[in-house]
Amino acid sequence: MEGSKPQKREKPEQVASPFMPMFETFRKELDEHHDRRERIIKASRDITAASKKIIFTLQRVRKLGQAVPPFVTKGNGQYWEIIEKQYQSIAADVQGLNAYRYGNNITGGNQEFMEALSFQHYLETQTLVSYEEAQSRVATMSGAAGAVPLSSEDYILGIFDMVGELMRFSITTMATNGELPAGPVKKAEQEKADSDADNMDIDEQAPETGGAEGGRNVLSDLRALRLQLEMFEPAGGRFEKDVRKKAWVMRECVDKVEKAWYGLTVRGTERPKGWVPDVREERREEIQGY
Amino acid sequence: MAAPSGMIDPAVFEGLQAQVDKDRAVVDELKDIIKELEKNNRGISFVHSRAHSTPVGQLPNVLNAAGGPVQGAIESISKLAAIASKQPYYKFNSMWTRQVQDAVYGILFWAWLGGKDYTGGEVKCGRLLTIEEVGEILKVPVNTKDKDEFHLTIEEYLLSLVSLVEELTRLARNAVTLGDYERPLLINQFVKDVFAGFQILNLKNDILRKRSDGLKYRVKDVEDVVYDLSLRNLLPKKSE
Repeated sequence: MEGSKPQKREKPEQVASPFMPMFETFRKELDEHHDRRERIIKASRDITAASKKIIFTLQRVRKLGQAVPPFVTKGNGQYWEIIEKQYQSIAADVQGLNAYRYGNNITGGNQEFMEALSFQHYLETQTLVSYEEAQSRVATMSGAAGAVPLSSEDYILGIFDMVGELMRFSITTMATNGELPAGPVKKAEQEKADSDADNMDIDEQAPETGGAEGGRNVLSDLRALRLQLEMFEPAGGRFEKDVRKKAWVMRECVDKVEKAWYGLTVRGTERPKGWVPDVREERREEIQGY
Repeated sequence: MAAPSGMIDPAVFEGLQAQVDKDRAVVDELKDIIKELEKNNRGISFVHSRAHSTPVGQLPNVLNAAGGPVQGAIESISKLAAIASKQPYYKFNSMWTRQVQDAVYGILFWAWLGGKDYTGGEVKCGRLLTIEEVGEILKVPVNTKDKDEFHLTIEEYLLSLVSLVEELTRLARNAVTLGDYERPLLINQFVKDVFAGFQILNLKNDILRKRSDGLKYRVKDVEDVVYDLSLRNLLPKKSE
């Protein structure tokens, strides 16, 4: 028998493998894991898409510090619902031991959601939504099965992205209204802010007035945000790399607003109607010659 | 005066930074233990490499020598488990999964060579420890589902098993050069049984899939060794 190749005839051996029962258990467990992961990846994608649409609508808002206009609430309602439905659909999959297991699979959706949430929150209140508030928003949407975890990494990276939205918002508003968007200054808030400033070690940054009125406007808020984000020190690993990359983009964004604001200040009065402050480097020559 | 802080409640970033700093402390603590585990793993594989040049008759020497580093790895993992169980398991597990796999692989190979049940006399090769048995040896829970604590995962066990198959493929050839024509047959059967198990798993595009894709080549490698032996009538006559 040695001479004839027996390999081909060894089929029954497969059935006889003594390890089969063990592998059958493994198969069941791995299938469950893959199913969970796929559900989460899909939810993350849907949340990302819906959040992008929300942001898109929000970019049509022109007023700061007040509830978003009805067309936004109405238009975005369906997208918030999608997000809620998606969070609910995976809430059970990310409880207990599995809370961090699928972090990489949900982070995309969570970040985009953070971007949308913080952008709307800023437009309405002219403040940065806190991490706890964001977490509780997700928790509320997740429903009875338990909260979908929103990691501090997701929060930070989402805020970085929100800076880009604020940039776009500022530039568009400047182009259409000829001024930096600034919210109504509320007495109470102003006083509270002043007392807050006392226990902050960044007092020297105080003269943040980009606008003439001396109140807060988008530019001063952007600078405050930039300061906080730059002082933040990530622990390392992939997150640190992401932060570094996004920090660079964020600085560019703040830069662009500052440049546009400069242009508007210097040339504001000569500005032809409908002229748009350019945000792209390579076209500056052209604009100056305009 | 304009108040930039009106935009951001400073507590937000203070809280986030505090969390990051706390995590960093955990990471630093884990790093030391993981390094220690790595050292023990190297000790195990140092001893085990001798198995490739040791005839079965003298294997007990190797197995005895492996006892020390195996014990060391078990102790390192106990320490790791104690610290890691204070944290959400999947938050940090990527830090040590590689090293735990190496340790499990070391123990699987050691047991396959007969180290687990050795009580003197001739060694008996060919034993596969189940994930539960590995857990018992390492004194850690396995495949935990309800409790968020340190444990050995199915993936880690399976990846270690792939490493074992790779090592046995090498051993099949080296056994032949030592004049041992029996172990290649044993390995052939073992590798096929393991491969059959992997074939019923529905693997997705991940590390497990990538590593287990190589198994079919290992099966073929061992088959080639057996084939070479059979061509030359070197296979031991069936004595069963």
